[in-house]
Amino acid sequence: MSEPSIIVRNLRKEFVITNTAIGSIKTLLLWWRRRSVVRLEVLKGLNFEVQQGECVAVIGRNGAGKSTLLSLLAKIYKPTSGTVQVNGRLAPLLELGAGFHPDLSGAENVFFNGVVLGLTREEIRKRLPYIVEFSELHDHIYAPIRTYSSGMLARLGFAIAVHVDATVLLVDEVLAVGDFEFERKCYAKIEEFRKNGGTILLVSHQIETVKNIADRCIWIQHGEIKMTGTPDEVLPMYTSKSEADL
Amino acid sequence: MLDELKELWKFRELLLSMVQREIRIRYKNSALGFLWSFITPLATTLVMTLVFGVLLNNKVQSFSAYFLAAYLPFMFFQFSVLDSAQSVLIALPLVKKIYFPREILPLATIISNFIHLLMGFVVFFGYLLVIYIRNPRDVPFQAGTIYLPLLLIISFMMSTGVGLLVSALNTFYEDVKYVMTVFLYLLFYLCPIIYFIEQVANFRLVQQNELLFKLYNLNPLAPLCTAYRQTLLAPQPIYMSSGELAAAKPLQWGWVAYVGVFSFLIMVYGYHVFNKMKWRFVERP
Repeated sequence: MSEPSIIVRNLRKEFVITNTAIGSIKTLLLWWRRRSVVRLEVLKGLNFEVQQGECVAVIGRNGAGKSTLLSLLAKIYKPTSGTVQVNGRLAPLLELGAGFHPDLSGAENVFFNGVVLGLTREEIRKRLPYIVEFSELHDHIYAPIRTYSSGMLARLGFAIAVHVDATVLLVDEVLAVGDFEFERKCYAKIEEFRKNGGTILLVSHQIETVKNIADRCIWIQHGEIKMTGTPDEVLPMYTSKSEADL
Repeated sequence: MLDELKELWKFRELLLSMVQREIRIRYKNSALGFLWSFITPLATTLVMTLVFGVLLNNKVQSFSAYFLAAYLPFMFFQFSVLDSAQSVLIALPLVKKIYFPREILPLATIISNFIHLLMGFVVFFGYLLVIYIRNPRDVPFQAGTIYLPLLLIISFMMSTGVGLLVSALNTFYEDVKYVMTVFLYLLFYLCPIIYFIEQVANFRLVQQNELLFKLYNLNPLAPLCTAYRQTLLAPQPIYMSSGELAAAKPLQWGWVAYVGVFSFLIMVYGYHVFNKMKWRFVERP
């Protein structure tokens, strides 16, 4: 058996929150003594693995630490302690169109975003036709991004992310964009991605989505893993617990 | 630090694209486009030549050339520092979403400014050519020009070090940018740009106390600006305000070595500080 795509060991993440934001030297000097520091422990030691080709859904209430976990996997945060290991090329779909610049054309942004995700420009040049086709932007690809609608932006962002030959995809509630037709196309693409042995870690609040595409669920509560198992095992518990909380 | 450099090398394509994007965006929405990078230094040179060369009549042959030779490297330092101060803050939405070595952001602004510096020197040599064509008897081009690449590397190291330092600090304390604006404004007058190093060296107070001259040159930009002048242009005796004629000072390699070592150290230090702080950029309060 091949090595797991994602290995998380004793992952802890703590944020330091000061109620007087140190945005300037003045506040730093004035409030040095009186600033109150609050340590917020968002993740309290997570341990899990995601095997190659698996699709794992992370579920949990707001503020449970799901997005922090994805950001740690995407190397945006540094863990307070513990390790995160990702084997393979990772494409984070944390927020579509995060790196777009409004004054550049769609094509120029494709190059830029592709390079950010780790492709060379030569590789992107070859993929541009496919990206344009998938995003259904046609000739608009040469117009500045600021003229795009939000749906067009979302389509372009998704098209780039699925064309970078990633082996691990991080998805954070981004599939609920675009029209129904495009959403179906996205799911088809994800299905194809999985058939080729790609690994997906997904965060979603939509129980239906999780039920449809996930092999396994990780339920996070207050920064700890509450339960793992197949969607059929975890989801009923999760929904009944959520209802009980309400 | 070696690991960080390796990681940076892996993302060299991104650095290249960032530089391209930086240059493209800067002139995308302006009618004159790239010409602006020539017009700004030329306009400054024109004004300075009118004020110091014509109005105050400092009797310097082709003052504009001497001004440009020192002003171009200063301008590069100034804009690299001010632009890189903002570079991380501007890209914060991107930084919060996608991983890449954060130092790429200030480095891209510094490199694009460096390209502007090179363009500036194209204008500079064009200007020397005009002087030559108008007066073919004295050749303005100097053998010292071969040292230009060395001076450019020193300039680049210095701007990179200070730029990285300032961009890391400014991400947390936005006052740093304003402090730097004032500081650079004062620094302009502490460098031999609108005056000459000979005027400093032969100033009566400085002549009495050798230490003052060393103190003046401790500001690494001062000997650097001087070195640009002395390698690129012919030595020329300068009139002091008292009316005496001060002999041209030859290039002093000791000071160039000082600036070189200083620049290298500040680059290493700047990169070290940046690397220590860069993980906290996203957790900025």
